[in-house]
Amino acid sequence: MIQFLRTFYQAGLLGMNRRNGNYTLVRNPRKLYPFVDDKLKTKELLIANGIASPELYFTIERNSELNNLSRLNMFKDFVIKPARGAAGRGIFVIVDKVGDYWKKASGELVSMEDIEYHVTNIIAGLYSLGGVSDRAFVEYRVQSHEVFLPVTFQGVPDIRMILYRGVPVMSMLRLPTKESGGRANLHQGAVGAGVDMLDGVTLGGVYHDQLIEHHPDTNVSIRGIKIPFWPELLEAAAKIYDVFKLGYVGVDFVIDQELGPLILELNARPGLNIQLANRTGLLPRLNAIDRWGGLVENLAWEKRMEISRKVIKL
Amino acid sequence: MGRSAVNRKVYLIAALLIVLAGALINFKVLRGGQSLSPEVTRHLWRVKIIANITGKGEHARVRLTLPKNNAHQKIYNEHFENDEMVFYVRTQVKSGNRIGTWRAEILDGSKSLQYTFSAQLRRIQYEIPENLTLPENPEKAYPPEMKQWLDPSKFIQSKDLLIQDHLKAIIGHDKNVAQDIRKIFNFVHGDIRYQTEKKSKDAKETLLNLEANCGGKARLFAALAQAAGIPTRLVGGMIMTPSIKTITHVWVESYIGGKWIPFDVVNNYFAYMPNHYVELYRGDYPLFKHVGLLKFDYYFVITKERIPPLDNPWSLYVLPIHFQKMIKVLLLIPLGAVIVALFRTIVGIPTFGTFAPVLLALAFREVSLGVGLLFLAMVVAIGCAFRNLLDWLKILVIPRLSIVVTLVIMVVLASLVLFYQIGQQRVLYVTLFPMIIITWTIERFSVLQIEDGTRAAIQSAVGTAIVATAAYFVMGIRTVRIYLFAFPELLLVIMAVLLILGRYTGIRFSELYRFREFYNISGRKKL
Repeated sequence: MIQFLRTFYQAGLLGMNRRNGNYTLVRNPRKLYPFVDDKLKTKELLIANGIASPELYFTIERNSELNNLSRLNMFKDFVIKPARGAAGRGIFVIVDKVGDYWKKASGELVSMEDIEYHVTNIIAGLYSLGGVSDRAFVEYRVQSHEVFLPVTFQGVPDIRMILYRGVPVMSMLRLPTKESGGRANLHQGAVGAGVDMLDGVTLGGVYHDQLIEHHPDTNVSIRGIKIPFWPELLEAAAKIYDVFKLGYVGVDFVIDQELGPLILELNARPGLNIQLANRTGLLPRLNAIDRWGGLVENLAWEKRMEISRKVIKL
Repeated sequence: MGRSAVNRKVYLIAALLIVLAGALINFKVLRGGQSLSPEVTRHLWRVKIIANITGKGEHARVRLTLPKNNAHQKIYNEHFENDEMVFYVRTQVKSGNRIGTWRAEILDGSKSLQYTFSAQLRRIQYEIPENLTLPENPEKAYPPEMKQWLDPSKFIQSKDLLIQDHLKAIIGHDKNVAQDIRKIFNFVHGDIRYQTEKKSKDAKETLLNLEANCGGKARLFAALAQAAGIPTRLVGGMIMTPSIKTITHVWVESYIGGKWIPFDVVNNYFAYMPNHYVELYRGDYPLFKHVGLLKFDYYFVITKERIPPLDNPWSLYVLPIHFQKMIKVLLLIPLGAVIVALFRTIVGIPTFGTFAPVLLALAFREVSLGVGLLFLAMVVAIGCAFRNLLDWLKILVIPRLSIVVTLVIMVVLASLVLFYQIGQQRVLYVTLFPMIIITWTIERFSVLQIEDGTRAAIQSAVGTAIVATAAYFVMGIRTVRIYLFAFPELLLVIMAVLLILGRYTGIRFSELYRFREFYNISGRKKL
């Protein structure tokens, strides 16, 4: 037990209490939370700052607007999301149109009635934090970059990047599995693969709390995948601090086959399993940034990238 | 604001809260009894009345007369243990006695009832006015409420000819109240032999046998005084000596010159109240009354009390005793919240929010741990069973939760009928409050089930049950309950503990398991 604790200490592992007490509570001002908790607000802010994200088709805020859903007939594929859904809940991915029906990513056929029911549930707050009533929106369906196809079971993998005081500190590639139902959330059973911050090449991964080397569904190695557009991702992450001003945040990128890197959403309470995926604790890097002196977050993004390159070697 | 600055502030506030609580408690203990003097502290007593009862499976009731404040005694620190029976206090209209009643609709098995109080006693010497004369027509001479203390009763036969004749023999034609009461006192004290072994006897029998216990002697005194036209009543109480005993004591009070004046014909206290007597009731009543019991016995434990009564008007003891039970439950809520906070931030057990485990622990205390856990498991099982059905019917969230709650109520009703039919009638007397709390957990369960899936919901349900059980045991510690009630200032200490917990940034025990793979990695690195 004592040795266990010592291992923890030496690895510099960030625990839930410390993340909340010393990072999210201290670094993320309460009043900024709505901009990341509400995906529509995030989107507005991203659009206003000219940052690429999946195109917003339309929103449905009330049950009386349900007939707007008829506009879906114009699209072959799309994604319906709740604005305040947490952990990928309530996301409906349509990949194709088959006659009067749509085909979900899982292959299941759904009717307009099913979609209406789902949107009603979103508005009633079924998927929102704390069950408050919510808004639904329909957006462009990202087509996963082909690099990731061998290690993906349905869905679209995303890249989670932890940003501390505007400095990218750790990253992982999140791969959907059969268990996660196409979602890229680790606690729902997605795989997380650590990423070498220097060149964007994946290391081994984590599945639930287990360290793994191969994707549990496709059995393809998840090590050594080179994430396309890696320098651009790092740059976009460093720049995004100036838009959202959150000191401890997770930024989720997707890489579209045609459009390249897009920002999907931000998370003001990013999970801790990224440390297992990277086989290293966050604390040495976070402490190094705190030791930098002065207000790191006020430096230009180029300077923060420089700091990032130094701390990720720890 | 850096985090060490935050920590410093939190620790400072926590320390201030603890110091404040300490100061308040200290003030209460040392300065609380302002009427404190050496003479007073010597006459502080603590009395514990314990009744062990066995029911016969039917309605049962135990009544005990409780002491009241008067010029001679101050009662404080009252506690009662109801051992799952209903307890309430009423004041009897006619006698003015304070009656505590324990009640159970169905009582089988044994229970231990307890009533504890402290008393601060004072001696009083009364003066009897010298020039009062006996009234010609006693009924008219006193206020109407004195009639009950003039009229004869079954054991105080003041209109009986034998008594009346004997009175004449004692007082002759002397009409002076002071002299007559002295003569009656001397006769009953001096000429009637005190015999503790004899069962309590009535006035006439005492007169005929010329021997009796304290009850018989007191009744004879009362009969003679009433016959003379002086309103007189019995007073029941206890004599304070550090001991364990079962005997009570009876003396009398006569209404002379507009005042009740005490007389003890056994221990020779004439118009004098000594400072080791505690009065429990007035009139010819028993201390205990009970119905529906197979077995009943009681005893008193009398010890010296060290803490004087708190004259602090903000003490919770100033509240009526039957109201204090509710306060005690309220005080347990912050205590439970600390347990939940400990389990969540240090151990890392998931629960249904913060409040649910605390309320469940309170409910378990009402219905017993086993029944409570069984009930909780049943509620969760229903939640799981109907999930798929409601998914399939595509029901909106709020009506869906309401349907689950309705289903739970239906199952509860069905099981109540079932239990009744198989002879477990006790189940019917589970009170409303724990029922509602346990039923309500279904909502938390269902919401979690919808949001995070059945597995996460069951994990949280098990976590909730574990934390609620831990809180149940902590809340069950009697000393903790009594101290919290005596010193609600301890809530400030609880706040301080919560503040410090709120800045605990160490690892959770559950994270040792969650990140267990790190153990292997760093092991490899070392090699």
